[in-house]
Amino acid sequence: MPAPRDPDDANLAPRRAALREALAKLQPNDPTPPRAGQPSADASGMSLGLRASSEFIAAIIVGALIGWGLDHVLGTSPAFSIIFFLLGVAAGVWNVIRATSPKSSISPLSKPQASAKDTPQTPRMADDDED
Amino acid sequence: MATEAVPAINPIEQFAISKLVPLQLFGSDVSLTNSALFMLVSVGLVCALMLAAGAGGAGIPGRLQSAGEMAYEFIAGMVRQSAGEQAMKFFPLVFSLFMFILVCNLVGFVPYSFTVTSHIIVTVSLALIVFFTVIIVGLYENGLGFFKLFVPSGVPIYILPLVVAIEIISFLSRPLSHSVRLFANMLAGHITLNVFGGFCVMLLGAGAATKAIAILPFAMTIGLDALELLVAFLQAYVFAMLTCMYLNDALHPGH
Repeated sequence: MPAPRDPDDANLAPRRAALREALAKLQPNDPTPPRAGQPSADASGMSLGLRASSEFIAAIIVGALIGWGLDHVLGTSPAFSIIFFLLGVAAGVWNVIRATSPKSSISPLSKPQASAKDTPQTPRMADDDED
Repeated sequence: MATEAVPAINPIEQFAISKLVPLQLFGSDVSLTNSALFMLVSVGLVCALMLAAGAGGAGIPGRLQSAGEMAYEFIAGMVRQSAGEQAMKFFPLVFSLFMFILVCNLVGFVPYSFTVTSHIIVTVSLALIVFFTVIIVGLYENGLGFFKLFVPSGVPIYILPLVVAIEIISFLSRPLSHSVRLFANMLAGHITLNVFGGFCVMLLGAGAATKAIAILPFAMTIGLDALELLVAFLQAYVFAMLTCMYLNDALHPGH
């Protein structure tokens, strides 16, 4: 290796090492490798599209099945079928809102409490859409 | 006799389960089927990849090692980002699910192979593993506090029963949407590929005049193949991503 042209260069190497150590202490492991950034942004957009419809339909089916089951057991056909079908539709809409809300990478109804890497986020969406 | 030249195309036939090694155990049928065989092949491929990736430890990673490390970092980043550092103890589960689904989807592309994830029983089993893991972990970590998941904060009391019912339906619909999405995408994709491939064969067999037109479904098949490759990856990604989100709910039910 050639001798450092500048005497400052020699001082820089230990400083750089110290900095690297300090950085490593601050971020124990980088969660997102820079290469994964762009593709995952595209992928999450497409995955959102794939999710929305199935979330909507699944909630309706589950609601209708619960209603049908209750009717079957209690013999109250078709009261519960109708009620739970409608509740299922509401749950489906709620699922889609949840999946497509701005904080979709983290489910809007819950947020990690003690995650050091929490980027500053917009305050949680108000829950009064249901009213 | 003209019809004999055209082979019959049945797009559903590819999903048929056939017994390769008949086996009875305690009165149940535990035969090795083509589905089980391709599950074993997929697991073997994942193991081989990860073992090869872990064996080298070279400073400059080779291709296999790069692939293994990329898969690890991709999933580790996803788990940390969407469920927090605490969820890293579930990394093995998420990673196994992702790799298994991804390799099963990709193995299904090889002609004459079998797509394991195109059977709803497989995807439902995987989704139920996640569903029950979330319930058990949630109850274990938070006790009854887990049920706060169904009671959003800031809802007026007179509307709460309705909201709780909706939240419970929403929660119960998870394994259904989780499993049906993967199953339906793989099933539909393979049927479409088969139908267009069948068009191609039929047009080639139907006579000299139609041979030229056969290029059209062939081009379509190539395009669909690329699309299905994307879908195969995306479905594995979505499945793992949702697993992380559900685990996040189990670990942090309050809000």
